[in-house]
Amino acid sequence: MRIAVLSFAHVHAQTYVELLRDRDDVELLTADPDAPPDDPDRGAALAERLGVPYVDDWDAVFALRPDGAMVTSENSRHRELVERAAAAGAHVLCEKPLATTETDARAMIDACARAGVGLMTAYPVRFAAAFAALHRAVADGSLGPLVSVHGSNNGWNPTASRPWFGDRELAGGGAVMDHTVHIADLMDVLLDGEQAEEVYAQANDVLGPDTETGVETAGLVTVRYPGGAFAAIDCSWSQPEDHPTWGGLALTCVAERGIVEFDAFPRLLGGFDSTTARSRWEPGGDDLDAAMLEEFLDTVRTGRRPRPDGEAGLRGLRVVLAAYTSLRTGQPVRLPVTPDDNPGRKHPAE
Amino acid sequence: MTHLDVALIGAGGIARAHLPAWTALGARVRVYAPDGRAPALAAEFGQTAVASREEAMDGATVVDVCTPTDTHHEITLAAVAAGAHVLCEKPLALRAADAEDMAAAAAAAGLRLYPGHVVRFFPAYAMLHALVTGGALGRVAVARFTRTGRYPTWSPWFAEPARSGGILVDQMIHDMDIARWLFGEVVRVHAHQRGHLTAPAPEDAVATGTAVLTHTTGVITQIVGVWAPPATPFRTTFHIAGTGGTVRHDSLASPGLRIVGTADANAAAGIPVGDFGESPYATQIRELADAFAGGPEPRVGPADGVAAVRIAAAAADSARTGRAVELVTPPAPEGVPA
Repeated sequence: MRIAVLSFAHVHAQTYVELLRDRDDVELLTADPDAPPDDPDRGAALAERLGVPYVDDWDAVFALRPDGAMVTSENSRHRELVERAAAAGAHVLCEKPLATTETDARAMIDACARAGVGLMTAYPVRFAAAFAALHRAVADGSLGPLVSVHGSNNGWNPTASRPWFGDRELAGGGAVMDHTVHIADLMDVLLDGEQAEEVYAQANDVLGPDTETGVETAGLVTVRYPGGAFAAIDCSWSQPEDHPTWGGLALTCVAERGIVEFDAFPRLLGGFDSTTARSRWEPGGDDLDAAMLEEFLDTVRTGRRPRPDGEAGLRGLRVVLAAYTSLRTGQPVRLPVTPDDNPGRKHPAE
Repeated sequence: MTHLDVALIGAGGIARAHLPAWTALGARVRVYAPDGRAPALAAEFGQTAVASREEAMDGATVVDVCTPTDTHHEITLAAVAAGAHVLCEKPLALRAADAEDMAAAAAAAGLRLYPGHVVRFFPAYAMLHALVTGGALGRVAVARFTRTGRYPTWSPWFAEPARSGGILVDQMIHDMDIARWLFGEVVRVHAHQRGHLTAPAPEDAVATGTAVLTHTTGVITQIVGVWAPPATPFRTTFHIAGTGGTVRHDSLASPGLRIVGTADANAAAGIPVGDFGESPYATQIRELADAFAGGPEPRVGPADGVAAVRIAAAAADSARTGRAVELVTPPAPEGVPA
């Protein structure tokens, strides 16, 4: 398979390259022509450091007819690359959030449908084996009906390494845009694709430090679903920059017959590191990105519909956009009822 | 005060937590409860059960109100009329107006009224307060608190919203008070609650609530409360992030003593586990008793009790109406994006 990584704007691009470059079944291409020419962490410089083929022109990379394309550009620039990749016949894995507007997300979904290619949203956390076990316990009724969920997805402020995360135009917002969707997607799995009904959010930018950007760096989002379940989410970029690990994601499910806590990035080893004078933190758990890429490569190979698909990406985006409306109004925001735009809710293979 | 003469009204769970603390201070306690449980409780701690509230309050210097929340207002006013200082279990009342009335009555009579916000006396929360007010966290941005304990089915009134206010008011008021203590007044509240929210509650009932508080300082706080399935251990957690770093706590994470192996399920019964040191209830009552005796103001006052009720009642309103409730006109706190 020929797989193209389109843009190094998102830090995950490098992760994906490192996971795919040594595989025998993947011929990897990279392209980052919009990169600032002098940025050592972008473009040809990064490709050379990673030891992967690099094409410095969008037309040229699409002319090579990749089988699959991974879109890791800035959030608001996903659409143009997804549309071009689809037109070139490539199945698409698009970084989350799928887009920054519903119009863009819908256009991307439609473009891939028209081209007959899959559109997958990069939500790695649902691929954790521990989460799959939690999902089974909810789905088979052994936990009893789900009452509510609370969770946190905290991380380093990504503007330190990628300033565009603090650009409202390119990123679509700050921590609420960046982090709400991961837990929203886990809810999407647990509730079988049920679109959220109402969202309330509060945020601030106390944690800066880049106050020029003006995006929120701390946020609390409360999401309610039609069946009555709610999710209380802390999406803040509140992991201190000198903390030994980037952050994490934890979710507690309260159900009528039990309470279960899921940690997507459990600490494997602790201790103290005298050379850095800070606590030691060696991560454990599955390699979620690798599991997600397996799913994507399988859909490229077989042409089957990916999970999570573009519709899942759109459902998560709607939660985020409602959160921003709530931030403006100070009140909960009802989402429009959209019963017919969830064709992916039941997977054909199931 | 050379002699502590206490009227303990109620003989339920909180009375049982308070009575050993009063006894340890050398107080003479008369226990009254209309449910007939006073004699057994009083006898256990060598105190006296009496047959009427009037008899309990007669000559008391302090009345300790440990009854269902909907009775706090009336009993507190009676205590004040009898000339006694009052320790009133939280919430002071179900409605802010009632709590204000209680505080005003005590103040007018020159008596002290303290709400039993005992979480302020738990070591982890007292330490957290010292850290936050001492600036160790820098400027605080965001906080979250959870509180999980089995559904209080042992006393049927907890499940009756008209008597307890339900989980948002009865249970989550603890962390609402802590959040306000740490981060200042609250200007906006939004809340949901779900699960078994009416009486009677079966043994295996479950209820949850969540509230988001926005403080005048710009800090945002998430509070989650769980009335859990019966075999759930009591647990509280918090996580606070500021410009100076983070602080987190899990009450189950680092016990002083825990049992890690047994011959059978009952073999460990009778071995005390968990946290040692002074009971937070004892710390609370010692500090309040000093204040009743004319000592310094304790770490919690009547205005705190009133404010906590105001926040909790707003959360209940929000859950009922589906709207965020504004508590005062927000002064556009610094640091909140437009």
